[in-house]
Amino acid sequence: MNLYEHEGKDLLASFGIRVPKGTLVRRAEADAIVNDGPCVAKAQALASDRAKRGGIAVCASAAEARAAAARWLDGGMDCLDVDAVLIEEKIPAVRELYVACLQDTGARGPVLLAGTVGGSGIESSGQVLRFPLDAKVPAAFSASLHRGLEAVAPGFAAFCRSLVEAFQTSDARQIEINPVAVLTDGAFVALDAKIALDVDAAFRHPEWEAYGQRTESGKALTPRELAVRSIDAGARWYQGTAGKYREMDGDVAVLFSGGGASIVIMDELAHHGLAAANYTEYSGNPPREKVRDLARIVLSKPGLRGLLIAGGVANFTDIKETFAGIVDALDETQPPYPIVIRRAGPNEKEGMELMRACAERNGLRMALHGKETTMRDAVGQLEKMMQSYGHPA
Amino acid sequence: MGILLDKATDVVVQGATGKEGKRVVAAMRAYGTRVSCGVTPGKGGTVSDDLPVFSDVRAACAAFPALNASVIVVPPFAAKEAILEAIEAGIPLISVMTERMPMRDAAYCFATAKEHGIRIIGPASLGIIVPGVGRLGVIGGPLVDEIFTPGSVGVISRSGGMTNELSWSVRQAGLGQSAAVHVGGDSLLGTSYADALRLFEADPETEAVVVYGEQGGACEFEIASLVRKGQFTKPIAVHVGGDFAKALPEGAVVGHAGAIVRRGQSAADKAKVLSESGVLVAERFDDLVQSVKPLISHAHHDTHLAHHQGR
Repeated sequence: MNLYEHEGKDLLASFGIRVPKGTLVRRAEADAIVNDGPCVAKAQALASDRAKRGGIAVCASAAEARAAAARWLDGGMDCLDVDAVLIEEKIPAVRELYVACLQDTGARGPVLLAGTVGGSGIESSGQVLRFPLDAKVPAAFSASLHRGLEAVAPGFAAFCRSLVEAFQTSDARQIEINPVAVLTDGAFVALDAKIALDVDAAFRHPEWEAYGQRTESGKALTPRELAVRSIDAGARWYQGTAGKYREMDGDVAVLFSGGGASIVIMDELAHHGLAAANYTEYSGNPPREKVRDLARIVLSKPGLRGLLIAGGVANFTDIKETFAGIVDALDETQPPYPIVIRRAGPNEKEGMELMRACAERNGLRMALHGKETTMRDAVGQLEKMMQSYGHPA
Repeated sequence: MGILLDKATDVVVQGATGKEGKRVVAAMRAYGTRVSCGVTPGKGGTVSDDLPVFSDVRAACAAFPALNASVIVVPPFAAKEAILEAIEAGIPLISVMTERMPMRDAAYCFATAKEHGIRIIGPASLGIIVPGVGRLGVIGGPLVDEIFTPGSVGVISRSGGMTNELSWSVRQAGLGQSAAVHVGGDSLLGTSYADALRLFEADPETEAVVVYGEQGGACEFEIASLVRKGQFTKPIAVHVGGDFAKALPEGAVVGHAGAIVRRGQSAADKAKVLSESGVLVAERFDDLVQSVKPLISHAHHDTHLAHHQGR
């Protein structure tokens, strides 16, 4: 889960990291901006390159800040909705630095990145130093790391230690501060905050509930995308995953199982010139109820012309149990469009029989396949069936 | 031969008395893998489906000194403690099935395992199978004998379902598998693609390796660098799934936790780097096995084996 800048700065401040004094304004309060003098107005959007995309305005007066805020709150920022604007004091930096802490695949744990200059594009410039941290006590810097950071700027090691504390305690996947301002007195101020939290640690962070629902890009959730999020909540949150639904522009509803199979089949849809109405994947042997709730949402989208229920050869996801959930939803909706199913794994015979009976009692146009049919061929069959189905009335 | 497992592998299942744990025990036993006991805190002294249960791994090891592998099937909030317990008891091979384990906990466990020279597979891994020898975890599910047969192709996948799907392609091509490893779909992996490739490089049974990879994350780049450095020398073919994700915004996660859309990490970016490093790249999944088949001299031998083994 990505945090908005203002949320990230509040989090950093709670770990003793200095951030600019600021006020968060929402639509109703935008007229009340009364900063007396130069300030920086920043659209709160979950997007990189906000500066390039016109989301940051350096303002000489409160009137300018009010104008910038009104522009974003009414018209958005580069196609993204903006619900809040952060108005901050202007910080007189003598120097800007870059710092980030993240969980790194190569290091199999946390690494600290530090740059002697800040600014856009620095993270991929090759000018950034990379220090693996001790995953057991990441804030206990080695002597050489301490020296390396002090060479960047005196006092920088202590600043970085606070950052790592924040990273570790908050179960972040990544915290990036770009830039860090160095003031004339040598103090450090976080001018930006880009924080991604590890959602798998949500069980020990009840305070995260206050952050509210969001997408990774900051685009508003559709009602279906919002509805699906409750599926993996509650007491059975860790029993399988069935809460993934991304609305897309096509007309083929998809209910995929397995993270890998789902993306291979999405690629195959594109190869066949078909477009998915959604991207959805359930896995980890979710119970019938979770799959039913997911299938209901997938089938509720208007304008569908086909349904693909597909996955690889399951290892332990119960085909009978999960298909029973889909059958519940099919019984309710009785889709008129063609349905292709391709799946194998535990209790596949029973699962396929449930589907066959469902098709019969509801008069559905359904083709059933096991592992003998490749995913590619299953998609090919759906393409053919959809050609003869024509357009919805 | 295969990698990591042999007939002497002796398994403890942590979380053995839960619904999934029981299925894991049954799956391993059905494939002829020795599962000596289970561990569930508070249930020591009981018996679950003929399996003696202990309250901690140390007690299990005292009763079964030959234990040398653990499969972990506990909820995510209990995974760190379970793994550390196995490490402290000196179990050299730990396969973690638990999904959605916090990264901070996984990183802590990897660091501890490294200090003790212990290998972790996963988390979120269905484990490893060496056809005809045994399986750690549930790869293959109940269809294991239809999909797997001893042979010369190593299989590595970030996806559990695709481990089977790819192994099935191997079988359909008339070949068999030397071993199949599901490394897991998270960003932090105890055993990476590169680690698995090193094992296959050292395994005389393995003639070639096929890999299912995904857009997002950095793991596939490790394959390229291993091959460039000459540390993996056998024929290798990779398919990178998720080309469709190039149309999605940065930060979107498609499928696995580690499959995060980022500039420079698209399916096409990875295919390019792999291809430039001398790795065979299959643009479509169905072509993956065929792209290495001509390079396998034992292809005929595999077919022969498959025919006679009947499994």
